[in-house]
Amino acid sequence: MKRIIYPTDDGGVAVIVPSAEYLSNHTIEELAAKDVPAGKAYQIVDEADVPSDRTFRNAWEYAE
Amino acid sequence: MSELKTDKISPRTASGTITLGDSGDTFTVPSGVTLTNNGTATGFSEPAYAANASASTGAVNVDASDNLQFDSGYGSTATAYGCRAWVNFNGQGTVAIYDSGNVSSITDNTTGDYTVNFTNAMPDTNYSVVIECRKQSGGNAGTSCYDQTFVTNSVRILTFQHYNQSAMDFAQVMVSVIR
Repeated sequence: MKRIIYPTDDGGVAVIVPSAEYLSNHTIEELAAKDVPAGKAYQIVDEADVPSDRTFRNAWEYAE
Repeated sequence: MSELKTDKISPRTASGTITLGDSGDTFTVPSGVTLTNNGTATGFSEPAYAANASASTGAVNVDASDNLQFDSGYGSTATAYGCRAWVNFNGQGTVAIYDSGNVSSITDNTTGDYTVNFTNAMPDTNYSVVIECRKQSGGNAGTSCYDQTFVTNSVRILTFQHYNQSAMDFAQVMVSVIR
């Protein structure tokens, strides 16, 4: 499943996790349009591209 | 088209039956016509609750404000306030939603910090949120979590270890929104 990432105001990165219910009748692009804060750049990435080791979750940064 | 005008139709014998037409015939009630039933009408499609012959009259009701009301053991028929959104998700490792209703996504903001995004927005921000967290076995016992930001299309929540109030990810985070 895909994830949507965008930079947070404090320099971190937010990861949007879609629900199966929503994706059953919407696209990931439609979800991004709805749930990414207005004006934020974002990327749609594979779930595997998001680290599962959250030890330093607060230090994650958004890369263009 | 022929027209029959009469004041009353009765069967020829007492307690008899009158049959209208044959299979395949159609009887149309024009717009503006009112049919009043003061007796017992059977065989029409009925709501499931009405199929229970022992159900009390008014056990299920929709009031003038379109509120669904029912008496489901309450002892009286009252408005039912539904769970407008819910989600059960894993906040550890690969964050993922186990299941949800009226939730388009969750946003993993950072450790112990999530936003639950609603598919259909709440009518206002006066809704109630119930949050529960479950740890995996081991580690420091006790958890707490609270709501941080209420807006109509999402609610942001924080999850903590209870004993030192430090942010923590949990194996299971359950959020219900009542309105």
